[in-house]
Parts: sequence; C-alpha cells; structure tokens
Amino acid sequence: MLARVVAFLFLVLWLPTHAAEPDLLEPDKAFRFSARVLGPEALEVRYQIARGYYLYRDKFQFSVQPATVELGAADLPPGELKKDEFFGEVRTYRGELRIRVPIAKASAAGGPVTLAVTSQGCADVGVCYVPHEQTARLNLAAAGAGASGSVSDAPGGLFSSPAAGSSEDDTVIAKLFHGNFALLLLSFFGFGLLLSFTPCVLPMIPILSGVIVGRGAHVTRGHAFSLSAAYVMGMAITYAIAGVLAGLSGAMLSAALQSPWVLGSFAAVFVLLAGAMFGFYELQLPAALQTRLADASNRLPGGHLTGVFAMGALSALIVGPCVAAPLAGALLYISQSRDVVLGGSALFVMALGMGVPLLVVGASAGALLPRVGPWMETVTRFFGVVLLAVAIYLVAPLVPRAVEMLAWAALLVITGIFLRAIDPLPTSARGFDRFAKGLGVIALVAGIAFLIGALAGSRDVLQPLAGLRGASSPAAAPVVFTRVNSMDELDRAISGARGRPVMLDFYADWCVSCKEMERYTFSDPQVSARMSNVVKIQADVTANAPEHQQLLKRFRLFGPPGIVFFDPEGREIQGLRVIGFQPADRFAKVLDQVLAFERVAQ
Amino acid sequence: MKRAREWVLIAVVGLAAGAAGYGYNVWRIGPAEQTRQGLADLTGARLPDLDGALQSVAQWRGKVVVVNFWATWCAPCREEIPMLVKLQQKYGAHGLQLVGIAIDRPEKVRPYAAEMGMNFPVLLASLDGIELTRRLGNKAGVLPYTVVLDRDGEIARLEVGALKEARIEALVAGLL
Repeated sequence: MLARVVAFLFLVLWLPTHAAEPDLLEPDKAFRFSARVLGPEALEVRYQIARGYYLYRDKFQFSVQPATVELGAADLPPGELKKDEFFGEVRTYRGELRIRVPIAKASAAGGPVTLAVTSQGCADVGVCYVPHEQTARLNLAAAGAGASGSVSDAPGGLFSSPAAGSSEDDTVIAKLFHGNFALLLLSFFGFGLLLSFTPCVLPMIPILSGVIVGRGAHVTRGHAFSLSAAYVMGMAITYAIAGVLAGLSGAMLSAALQSPWVLGSFAAVFVLLAGAMFGFYELQLPAALQTRLADASNRLPGGHLTGVFAMGALSALIVGPCVAAPLAGALLYISQSRDVVLGGSALFVMALGMGVPLLVVGASAGALLPRVGPWMETVTRFFGVVLLAVAIYLVAPLVPRAVEMLAWAALLVITGIFLRAIDPLPTSARGFDRFAKGLGVIALVAGIAFLIGALAGSRDVLQPLAGLRGASSPAAAPVVFTRVNSMDELDRAISGARGRPVMLDFYADWCVSCKEMERYTFSDPQVSARMSNVVKIQADVTANAPEHQQLLKRFRLFGPPGIVFFDPEGREIQGLRVIGFQPADRFAKVLDQVLAFERVAQ
Repeated sequence: MKRAREWVLIAVVGLAAGAAGYGYNVWRIGPAEQTRQGLADLTGARLPDLDGALQSVAQWRGKVVVVNFWATWCAPCREEIPMLVKLQQKYGAHGLQLVGIAIDRPEKVRPYAAEMGMNFPVLLASLDGIELTRRLGNKAGVLPYTVVLDRDGEIARLEVGALKEARIEALVAGLL
C-alpha cells in the first residue's frame, strides 16, 4: 500500500512540465574527465564515459598551457568500430578510456601546466554534445628531478598500482618492468646505497671488522677485501632469497618482520651484542663446535671465506627487521610484479648497494681498521653504544615516547660517564683523553637534557627541552582520522567528501612506519596545515579481519603502511601513493600534488 | 495505531517527493523570467547566414517559427533534416518558417545544405551558439534542439533530440 502510494506520487509530481524528454547528463557527468602525470615524458587523460554515451575517436584535441610545454601526438586506442548511416565507419569509445599523451617538450623547471582536452560525443538516445573542452591542472616534475610528476617513496613510486584493478593494468605494469630491467636494478642498487646510510647497517661494521681483524696482523689488503666481498655476498644472497620468497608469496614478509615480538627480540639481540662489545662476556660458539668448524674450514680451500659468507647471511637476518620498514616498499613492488627472477635480482643488487660501505671498510683494511691494541677496545665500545642505539631505534615506535626519551637519556648519560665526563683529567692528559672527555661532556649534557625533557613532559625527541620555553607552544593537535572498517564504510566516507580530496591511510598497531609517520610527519606544522584541506580516513587493519583483507586487496596492498589519495571526484589519484615512511618535507610535496589535483570545471 | 503511523509516513514521504519533484522542475525549466530572457536572446541574436549577411530570428515574427539547432557532425541532426525540408515544403505557404542554426563551420554547411536541398535559411553559430539554448532548457547543451514559436513569438514547444515527424506536424498544423 505504502509503496504504491509513493510510486504514484512520484509519477505524478515528477512528470516534467514540458513533454517528456530524455534525461540527459551534463557533458561533465556524461564524460567524466581526469588527467595525471605519467612521468617526465607523458601525461594520461582518462574518461569515464557513462553507460549509453560514447565519444568519437577522431574528435579529440589536446592543448597545454603555458606554451613552453609541447605535446606529442596522442596515443589514441583503437576503440570500437561503428557503422554510421552518415559518416560511414567511425571509431568510438565507451566505458573507460585512457589516452597517453606524450610530452614532446617540457620546460626544464617543470611546474604547473593546464591541460585542455576537447572531445565530442553523443548519447544513444539520439543527441550529440557540442565539442566540449575540459581542463586539468597538473604538476610536471623538474627535468631530472625524479621519475615522475608524482613524488613517491623510492621503490613505491615505481609501482603506482591501479585502483580497482583490471587485468589490463597488470600487463601494463609488467611491460613497464620488462622494458627497464637494467634501470630497475640500478634503482634498487641506489636504494641499497641509501639504506647503507641508515643506522641499520652500522651493526654490520663491527661484525665485519671483527672478522677481518680476527685474522690477525698478517691480513693483506687483498685478503681483507675478499673477506668483505664474501661477507657482502652472503648478505646479498640472503636478501635475494627474501626477494624470491616475496615474488612467490606476496610479501607479508615485511609485515611479519615488523611485529612487536620480532622487533623486541631483535632489540634484545642487539643489547646482547652490545654487552659483548663492552666486554661483559664473550659471545662465542661452544668450544667443541668451534674447533670442528675451524677444522672444516681449514680443510676446505677458501674455507675461511665460507665462514665469512655464512656470517654475512646471518647478519642480513639480524638487521632484517631494522630495514624492514624501508624494505616494505621494495618487497611490495616485487610481489606485485610476481616475478621471481626480478625479485631475486632486485634484492640482490640492493644488498650489494648496502654492502658498498662494508667493501670500502674491507678494501682499506690496513688503513681504516685499527690493529689490536687499546684503540681496538675503544672502537668496540663505540660500536657497543651504536648497537644499543639501534636497539632503542628499533623499539622506539612500540613504546611510549617518554620511555624512548628515558632510554636515550640513560644511554647518553652512561656513555658520558664512561668517557670520564666528570672524572678530573690529570694535567698530563693526552690529547685523545681530552677529546674523549669533551665528547663525554656533550653526551652527558644531551642525556640530561633528555632526562629533564622527559620528566618535564616533553615528548619531542628532537627538542626535548621545548616544553621549558615558558609559554608552552601549542602542541600540534593529533591528526583526527575517520575510521573505516569495511568497503561500505570507505565508499560512504569517500562519497561524503564530495569536493575535497581524500587521504586513506592504512594503519596497524604493529606497523612501525605508520607510527613514524604519525609521530614525525603528520605532526609537522607544514604537513598538518595541508592535511586540514583533505578528508582524512584511516583503515586500522590490526585485527586483519576479512573486511580488512578486502580493503587491502582493493588497493592491492599487502598490508600497511600505505596511503592512498582520491581526487575530489572520489577516484584514486594514480601514482601518488605513499608506501612506507616519508619525511615531512616530501610528504608535504605529495599533499601539494593532491591538493593541486582539483579538476577545473569549465 | 500501526495504521495511523503508516499514513503519517505516507504523508511525509508524499510531501517530500512532491517538494523534490517541484524543485526538480523549477531547476530544470528555470524560472519564467529566465526563459523569457533566453527567448529574447535567441530571437535577437544576429547570426550570419550562408551568404554572410547577418540575420535574426525576430524578422519572422508573425509566422510559426521552428528553430532547429543542428550540425553536420551530428548524426541524429542529419537524420531529421529531410523531414524538416518536407515540413517547410508543405506548410511554408501557410505561414511556417523553418530556421536552421548550425553549430558548425560554413565550409561544411554549404555543400551539405545544397546536397539536401535545404529550402529554409540556415544561420551559422560558433560553439557559443549552444549557449542560446541553455536558458531555454537545454541544460546539457546537446544537438539537435528545436524551439517552436507561435505567431505571437511565444514558446510553443522545446524539444531535445530527434523530432517525431507526426508529432511536430500535428503541433505545427495546430499553430497555423
């Protein structure tokens, strides 16, 4: 009854005043337009053509402002052949259309451009639209500034994966990779080189130097180099295996490596190693096993090398969790390509990149590494401190900030005391002692600063005393996200954000880089100012419920960290994903691009 | 009790639907004032004919005027041209005046008009010509679009898309 009355009312009241006419979409809705920067040499224009509407292939016109940028001939897909009573055979497009438009000439500085595309289409009901111009503002990257106009995390940027994912996109991605195999390996090598500057690789240096110095005074430069090469090989092959596994499995690996348990236990291992460095005890295999190993290696030619090789493999496992967060992007990339050879070789060259400083240490055996003596003791102690620092670094995202600060305070103060910061120096002290005392005082003061800061309620590791500046600077309000737990909730949140770009952040309690993002990036005033202009949605997938897996699958993510952006029309902005930790300045640039992604209506 | 609630619900939903429908029509048709302005723009616009002389629709006031917006690149427009030619042939003597406004280039229109034996004036408009129709209800800006004016110059009909021969003929015959 109710339904019938309502239906009747609708029928009567919605009857148009004039004769019934087809309900036609306005051209911007019939032919939804978007564009993005594919890379330094091409743009992509995308149309979502409503059902019952079509565009003519031969009616497209592309232009760009300013004139310093020139476009090449657009790469129009063949389209559907349509026999037209009047025009003969014409080619038309329906549904989704992507057109690659090469950039023939770009200004070196990059910067914003306005792309205008004129298209002409019709509706099946028997009307045609006049040629319609739609424009988009895009940001071109400066020449040589990077892979594309889209700033992304190093490896993450290489695989801006499509949103809803048709199989066609897969082949496009795969093609991209096959074409640039050498280039890809090169970028992974560079990535490894960058990783070697993270504290993660530091623990490897004492291990390696221990190996080399352990050979005694008669180590030649060549021998030392081959030892370190063997060590790096062991490490590289371990990573290659990880790469193959990632290629096969689809990389929950990095997620597994980031669980609090794994991080916690590895931090414990580092503390243990540090203890050994300080000489509290000696870490060594049981004597029986050791002799057997020594025997075996002495019998084999190059047996030493085998042992060193195994050491390398072991160290790769040990520092694995430390580099897991930056590695997440690489593993994800490999698992998306599902290419075992690629995965293996990519991680292999990445590990070689990481090993470069180690090879340098090895090659300079005589020069850089100290001989046995009091020096050696100082160096091992130094590395002990470094190991403890790495341990703190590992667990920092998991513990309250105050605990982290107290840990730093303890480390610094105790180190300072060991450097005799408050012992009186004899007047006859050597230069080195004075230098060490200077360092000790610095460490002590810094440690005290941390201690005071932590006790005074400061929670900023970089400015522990900021809270004491009197007028307490207003703490950046924590970023408030709308939580979504399922596809439905996500879709509702996105459609509810009409007119504003949307940022979707995948988060989990165990995700270290997510916490780093929260702590160091989102809290940055530059970033939070920009973030206030986007609708912020967060999917907490800690529980890993089926709905969570669906969400991840939709965006082809295997787990957090991952930030996906949507334009004001609710479509994913391709190529702007952020995978892994990104410092505030780079993330601010990404946000600028997101905010620039507004479609300029005619 | 339950029944009463149902009726309240019906009333509320009905009111909401009514308001929405009314609003939709206001939005779609536009206030009368807007239509009036749109009509004045259309009849007052001075557009070149195929010989380059400026013409305006206002000059045919007193006749039943059918203004047809079309283009050679628009297949559904081409489909109805022969029918319009026939209509002009049949009722021209009785006071019907067909006027074509082509959103097109003259070098395309001239040979086509000759080929089809178009027996009524064709005026040329650039892409902006479509703007003349927007205030008359052609929100989406599509072709073909037809405006029928009676002898007093008032709007008798606005038609989006292809015309039905029988219907337009009946309408025109009634107005003459």
